[in-house]
Amino acid sequence: MNMHAMNTAPRSEVDAADVNQSVPQIQFSSVTKMYGSVPAVRDLSLTVRRGEFLTILGPSGSGKTTTLMLLAGFEAPSSGDIMIAGHSVASVPSYRRDQGIVFQSYALFPHLTVARNLEFPLEMRGMAPDQRKVRVARMLERVHLGEFGGRMPSQLSGGQQQRVALARALIADPPFLLLDEPLGALDRNLREQMQIEMKSLHKEFGITTVCVTHDQEEALTLSDRIVVMRAGRVEQIDTPEALYDRPSSCFVAKFLGEANILEDALLLARGGNAPQIGTVAMIRPERISVLPKTAEWAQTDQRQYVAGAVDDMIFAGPLRKYHVRVGNNVLIVREHVAADQPVFQPGEEVCLTWLRSDIRFVSP
Amino acid sequence: MKLLRRMAKVPLGLTAPAFALLLVVFGAPITLLFLSSVNAPDFSFQYYGAFFAQPANVRVLFQTIEISLVATAICLIVGYPTAYLIVTASKTLRMTLIALVIIPYLTSGLARTYAWIVILGDRGVINNILLDVGLIDRPLQLIYNRTAVYIGMVHIMLPMMILPLVSAMMGIDRSLMAAARSMGAGPFTAFRRVFLPLSIPGARSGSLLVFVFCLGFYITPAALGGLRDAMLSTFIAAEVNSSFDIPRIAAASFILLGFAIVVLSMVGLDLSGKQEQSQTRAPKGSMSRLPIVLVIKRNFSEILRPYRVKRWTGRRYVPGAERRWPKVVAIVFIVLVMAFLLFPGIIVVIMSFSSGAFLQFPPSGLSLQWYRSFFGDASWSGAAWTSVEIGVEVAVISTLLGTLAAFGLSRISARLRGVLTMIIITPITFPVIVVGIATYLGLIQIGLIGTKGGIALAHSIGAVGIVVVIVSATLANFDRTLEQAAKSMRAGPLQTFFRVTLPLIRPGVIGGAMFAFLQSFDEAVITSLVGGLSVRTLPLKMLENIRHQIDPTIAAVASLLMLLPLIWMLVLYAVWWRSRPSMQRTLQEAAA
Repeated sequence: MNMHAMNTAPRSEVDAADVNQSVPQIQFSSVTKMYGSVPAVRDLSLTVRRGEFLTILGPSGSGKTTTLMLLAGFEAPSSGDIMIAGHSVASVPSYRRDQGIVFQSYALFPHLTVARNLEFPLEMRGMAPDQRKVRVARMLERVHLGEFGGRMPSQLSGGQQQRVALARALIADPPFLLLDEPLGALDRNLREQMQIEMKSLHKEFGITTVCVTHDQEEALTLSDRIVVMRAGRVEQIDTPEALYDRPSSCFVAKFLGEANILEDALLLARGGNAPQIGTVAMIRPERISVLPKTAEWAQTDQRQYVAGAVDDMIFAGPLRKYHVRVGNNVLIVREHVAADQPVFQPGEEVCLTWLRSDIRFVSP
Repeated sequence: MKLLRRMAKVPLGLTAPAFALLLVVFGAPITLLFLSSVNAPDFSFQYYGAFFAQPANVRVLFQTIEISLVATAICLIVGYPTAYLIVTASKTLRMTLIALVIIPYLTSGLARTYAWIVILGDRGVINNILLDVGLIDRPLQLIYNRTAVYIGMVHIMLPMMILPLVSAMMGIDRSLMAAARSMGAGPFTAFRRVFLPLSIPGARSGSLLVFVFCLGFYITPAALGGLRDAMLSTFIAAEVNSSFDIPRIAAASFILLGFAIVVLSMVGLDLSGKQEQSQTRAPKGSMSRLPIVLVIKRNFSEILRPYRVKRWTGRRYVPGAERRWPKVVAIVFIVLVMAFLLFPGIIVVIMSFSSGAFLQFPPSGLSLQWYRSFFGDASWSGAAWTSVEIGVEVAVISTLLGTLAAFGLSRISARLRGVLTMIIITPITFPVIVVGIATYLGLIQIGLIGTKGGIALAHSIGAVGIVVVIVSATLANFDRTLEQAAKSMRAGPLQTFFRVTLPLIRPGVIGGAMFAFLQSFDEAVITSLVGGLSVRTLPLKMLENIRHQIDPTIAAVASLLMLLPLIWMLVLYAVWWRSRPSMQRTLQEAAA
């Protein structure tokens, strides 16, 4: 391992293995974590590539937080191994790893000023005081908190605290960044603003980032790739678009956006792609169009039509959402509001149509 | 009712009954006491001069401060790691350990002092065992010396140190330590840089409480110490018994009080129990105000710097070996502390079943003779009834006045509230002997010396303070919008109070009433002053027995008194824990 003296905390001291681009930054190999006899993570294998923004998405209890704890070094795996930059870190305590973490509660030290909070990781790395000061000042500028160095964390707003937490995680130039529900505590407007901010910070620092969240919108907006977890296992790993467009299971389809399950075989009656064994047909609400009952229509090989009745209509700004009853099913349809579009009221008979190619077959 | 309604309109009016009691029984007489100490109306400091002119007095004064400081230091040294281990334990273990700390805290101080006499005495448990084993052939002098005083005082004060510490440490966000570790701070550095500074407020209020209580300590040092270990309280009490020369006693009292006040104001007592505030405040602690401390701190950090650089680069990604011994040390430590807190009680309970003619450990046979003797002897059971009677009166008076006052205080500006709360709790922060002398003078004025009613009033002034502290803590967690909701539904102020506020703060009120009863039930110092010779309470009877060691029945009494906290704990559990989880915090704050 490289051990040359460092006066400045360097841009992540590059190890021999680190230089090799073919070695993934972070690698989980069949990691299992048991709490007593309860497995929180089961046989997890996962690779995080250099510079990517990877989000671990899942409902509570899916093992995503445990995965983060394992990665941060707060928990040790019961079996399997975790490699960071080519080092096995299964039994390396957190303080001997090089990482930046943004905690869900931010975990800003309430007894230290903002500047002292930012100095902390530099101090732990043994950086000289004057260099620390320079770096802190630069970082505060970067997150638009130039004048706030002397404040206590409690004197900042939620968004400002969030930025301090992010600045503190990044200031020592760690090779990777961990985010634990980073935007969970912010209100909607601020959240969107911070999403943009984080994206630009990620681009600027080019830092490998692993984010844990249950917020699908956050995951879709920020990530290069998303890992969907369920009951301690990986359900699917892919880019946001691929995940959304080609979910492998009903669970993924419903967790990322809304999904209509076309259980009724009748819906697929005529030609086209036959259902595969052990799968169900799924279609996204925005892939369905609503037409007036009176419209002329006929089933074709590309397009399918079904009759139904509007149960409910919800106006949501740019979107209009219909709940349409078709036989025993209620299908959700989402349409963009446009001037020339007819509006259907509850009780009205309508006709739904979609392209057969928009149907996805997913495991139930 | 009309009067009540009018008072409810002015929140300050609700505090009037409490302040009236305080003024008559305590406020006016202590002012008179002060005036007589400065020889009013001529105003001279001759009595203070006379006090300091006698080297024996000065020696006692310094000894008092020395004993208090040492006892506080021991409590902090033992209490801090104990509290830390309690807080870091798993949830069930934590609750158990807290209960084990609260049980001795609620146990009669007299019973606990008696237990140490039994353990350390010439024919006590330790000497008997050593003699039986044959390690010694003459009893060791374990009691009536300074060590025994420290053992007894620390035993009584330790819960008072641990509980505020636990309360403060529970308020520290665990993710802060995780954050420190993730930034490269090892376990020790993370503790020193993050946990320790954040737990300082708890350590400060714990030490303060212990120190001030120690300053006024009377029974324990008198019972366990030798003649050379007298504290100022003992000195004042002796003075009262021998001469009752008011100006001299007054001067000595105010010297003792002066020290307590100086310490209180220097360190700044924050009894309102607002832990969060003190944590988030900008660092303006008295320590960091001194430039030299800052310089040392900085340099210390810099000395470590090369080591940090080396450690950071050298140990990166090096697996940490899991060490066993810290865990073993922690377990041994906490077991020892808990044993220290609980064993004296257990030993007394076992001895109380002894069948011999005098108490031995281990008992030669089992019998209920001392219990029979307690219930059969009118002087014991009568004393017990008197105490129960007075205790119930105190609980009723102080709960009524205290709850009203706390309610009124919760509705006025924070600043005024702080000042008034400080005034209302003076009887529990002042050295007990001073309070006793003042109330004696107060009760003489209204002709209640030597009556149960007089004792009840004397106990009530302290108990009101306790109720105010506990009910205020409960009210602080009370959601004020509930009252607004009730008013929006056309409930008047009184209806709102009885239908909404009172049911919600009831756990606090019940807790306050219990603490009030307990405080009265264990009170011996004030009682001995204002009770004259006609009223015998249980603590007085016990005190007499501790002094002369005549009647082993006291072991049975002490055992019964040790059962009490168990009953309290069950009641507390039923009323508080079950009703609202936030009450757990209230209890700890109240205990602090």
